[in-house]
Amino acid sequence: MKRVIVIGGGVAGMQTALRLADDGCDPLILEKEGELGGKLRDWYVLFPTFTPASEVLAELKGRVIRRGIEVRTSAEVAAFTPHSVTLAGGETLACDAVVVATGFTLFDARIKEEYGYGIYDNVVTSADLERMFAEGRVAKSDGSRPRRIAFLHCVGSRDEKVCQSHCSRVCCITGVKQAMEMKRLFPEADVFNFYMDIRMFGPGYEEMYREAQQRCNIHFVRGRISEASPTIDGRIQIKAEDTLTGRPLKMSVDMLVLLVGMRANDSNARFAAQSGVERSPSGFLAPKSLFLDGVRSTAEGIFYAGTVTAPKSVGECVCEGYAAADAAAEYVKER
Amino acid sequence: MFAAVAWKWGSWLWRLSSDDRRRILKGIPSLATLQAVGETVSESLLHRRIFRVNPLLGYMHMSLAFGWFLLISVGWIETVSYMGFRWVPLQGHVFFKYFATGLPHKPVFEFTMDLLLLFVLSGVALAWGKRLYSRAMGMRRTTRHAWGDRIALSALWFIFPARLAAESLTAALYGGGGFLTGSLGAALDRVADPALLGHAATAAWWFYSCCLGLFFVGLPFSRYMHIFTEIPLIFLRRYRLRSGEKEGAFDRFQIEACSRCGICIDPCQLQQTLGIDDVQSVYFLRDRRYGRLRLATANNCLMCGRCQVKCPVGIDLNTLRLNSRDTMRNIPDERRYEYLKGLDRSQGAGKVGYFAGCMTLLTPRTLRAMERIFGAAGEEVWWADREGGVCCGRPLKLSGETDSARKMVQYNTDLFRKHGITTLVTSCPICLKVFREDYDLPGIEVLHHSEYILRLIRSGRLPVIYGAERYTYHDPCELGRGSGIYDEPRAVIEAVGELLEPASTREHALCCGSSVANTAISDGQQLRIAQAVVQELEATGAETIVTACPLCKKALVRGAKGEVRDLAEIVAAHIR
Repeated sequence: MKRVIVIGGGVAGMQTALRLADDGCDPLILEKEGELGGKLRDWYVLFPTFTPASEVLAELKGRVIRRGIEVRTSAEVAAFTPHSVTLAGGETLACDAVVVATGFTLFDARIKEEYGYGIYDNVVTSADLERMFAEGRVAKSDGSRPRRIAFLHCVGSRDEKVCQSHCSRVCCITGVKQAMEMKRLFPEADVFNFYMDIRMFGPGYEEMYREAQQRCNIHFVRGRISEASPTIDGRIQIKAEDTLTGRPLKMSVDMLVLLVGMRANDSNARFAAQSGVERSPSGFLAPKSLFLDGVRSTAEGIFYAGTVTAPKSVGECVCEGYAAADAAAEYVKER
Repeated sequence: MFAAVAWKWGSWLWRLSSDDRRRILKGIPSLATLQAVGETVSESLLHRRIFRVNPLLGYMHMSLAFGWFLLISVGWIETVSYMGFRWVPLQGHVFFKYFATGLPHKPVFEFTMDLLLLFVLSGVALAWGKRLYSRAMGMRRTTRHAWGDRIALSALWFIFPARLAAESLTAALYGGGGFLTGSLGAALDRVADPALLGHAATAAWWFYSCCLGLFFVGLPFSRYMHIFTEIPLIFLRRYRLRSGEKEGAFDRFQIEACSRCGICIDPCQLQQTLGIDDVQSVYFLRDRRYGRLRLATANNCLMCGRCQVKCPVGIDLNTLRLNSRDTMRNIPDERRYEYLKGLDRSQGAGKVGYFAGCMTLLTPRTLRAMERIFGAAGEEVWWADREGGVCCGRPLKLSGETDSARKMVQYNTDLFRKHGITTLVTSCPICLKVFREDYDLPGIEVLHHSEYILRLIRSGRLPVIYGAERYTYHDPCELGRGSGIYDEPRAVIEAVGELLEPASTREHALCCGSSVANTAISDGQQLRIAQAVVQELEATGAETIVTACPLCKKALVRGAKGEVRDLAEIVAAHIR
């Protein structure tokens, strides 16, 4: 049987391995963390249905175990070619093809120092908030209930100042979802979303956005927050411009949630240099074609699945798992 | 040629402001004149500053300038010695050997003149070599010249070989000549017949005089105008004439004193990192001189001052670029600044005022650290802009919007005076520079936070703990080359840990790339410069990069793997 190595054991990698097994190949998943699941392990519920992330993850992991797919955890990849993968420890594994499903990196909100993440209390990222939801203790740092909450969209996305010009796509709907969850937890609180554009591209997203405004009474303000500073009473003062009325505004809030974007992994540059695959200007790996070869790389025998090529939703990543596996299986059979 | 040069000088001097003329009149009878004479000899003839860039490059320029000067003066003396003591024009010697073939020989002069010719010829040979391989003279890149300069340059290159040929052929026909022309002439006499030598001599003398003529006719209109412009520039500079925020007549002396040597190209990071090779000072000055300057060229400069440090003529490059921007961009919008009236968001009271500046407000770790430092030292502080203030004006000034900048300057000056402070501390070198240079603040001492913190530490008001951390320091352009502050930040770092110097440091330090003075390059290009700078800083092996400018910090953090901290942050973390 042909050996195909899948680098990365997130949703895209797991689905790729499952499909490879269906296609009669012998897949091996290399996961750098201690367990499978990738970024989804840190997520609480998924838009637009509020389905628990653990449910999706448990189902995928269960299938991987039941199919007896070989998995190596805590295995970080140092380099790869189409026919071999070298681990950080120096061990080299032979294979017939490689599927890269290494995902993305969350933008480090500390780089946008003006928002005070890591400096002031009660400035959190969307990822922090998911963890707080999962742990069931959403509150201000002193334990009290927030009365006014602001969400800021596009932190580390569509921001030339930090050289992240691309749109991370899923943060808009995440912001709407998290705002609705906050409103559910704190019905008396005012919730504001500061945005540049609201991009509701998926099925049911636009409806959810409408519901957030009409039923949940969440306020949407078009304008980016320019800076945040602490007030004497321990709140956070934000400065923004409401670009629809053309007026600057100042507001004190109890919590500021930064919707951090998806950025390309640093390892992409190294992989591109070593394996001869190409990177797009955003730093994500570039597929052979955006139209006909979305899961093929520019090098023979190297395939892509999931967010290694661009920001995507969970559903899209799983779909790409099927496509990448089929493309890789076809390649190894012809070899 | 002399008429053209005189006309140029005359018109520039005529257009000088009355203040500048007064400065000249006051300067002439003073010591400044003597100093200027000395500087003229050391720079215009000997080219001491080019020697500092590269010895071979210095020798090349010196042999051409000083060698030719000696050829002319010794030649004149030689002519006088033949003709007796009467009036001989300076150029009298040029064709002396052609006409004065029948006179008795004076071997001393012949030897000296040949030696000097050899001296100049060695310079010409080096100049040819430099065009082929400039690296040998410490220049990775040289100037791409316009066609006018190329013609003048070629003429200059051929003058001296042509003179060698002409004098040797004359020596072959009539005898005489020194060790060079004489022996060459004797050799030619042996191999060629006299008729051929006669024709060749005539051709060589014609070629020599054509090159000479072409060069001198082209001189006032080409790069070689620098030969005559550098001299009055040295004198005027000694008389304290300076370029200002508006274009002026003195600028012409600076602009035409540029020899287009291209020494400014190599230190430019836009060229080094981004490969932008048509905006450097040499091209900026050339375009401005011939009235072809475009805003895109004027704007595409970090104003880091790295080229200015290297300029062998000492031209005030940043000021010239700024007043060009002023001419092209100064269109104030009167209504935009109405909000300044009656605005005062300052807090607290004290003799010490703190001005954070826009960039420090966007990097609140620095602001917090300053709050801790002031608190620990027990300083009563008047906070000028913690709740938001008005820009210091420097970014507008740097973009050429001088009149708008002046509105900010006036607003902040009034604010500082109203609150009766005696010391003004800022953590932003951009603000510092404009406070010191463009604000009228009698009775208020303006300090950068590095200077202020050092005073606190030295006076014992701020006890700090020495730690085991290793730091490297990035010199901000506006603080280092801009304001001459190099030692204070280093002393502060050394009070809290070990300091490791990067490869380019102090006046040769690199620019972070995010300078507000450059409105032409993209954020992606800024990042590439920052990454190159960070690479050099991280190569020191230090755990933390320290800088003393909020803008540099924001720039470097984008390209760094490790920590980037403001000076205030590391001090605040080490308060005992």
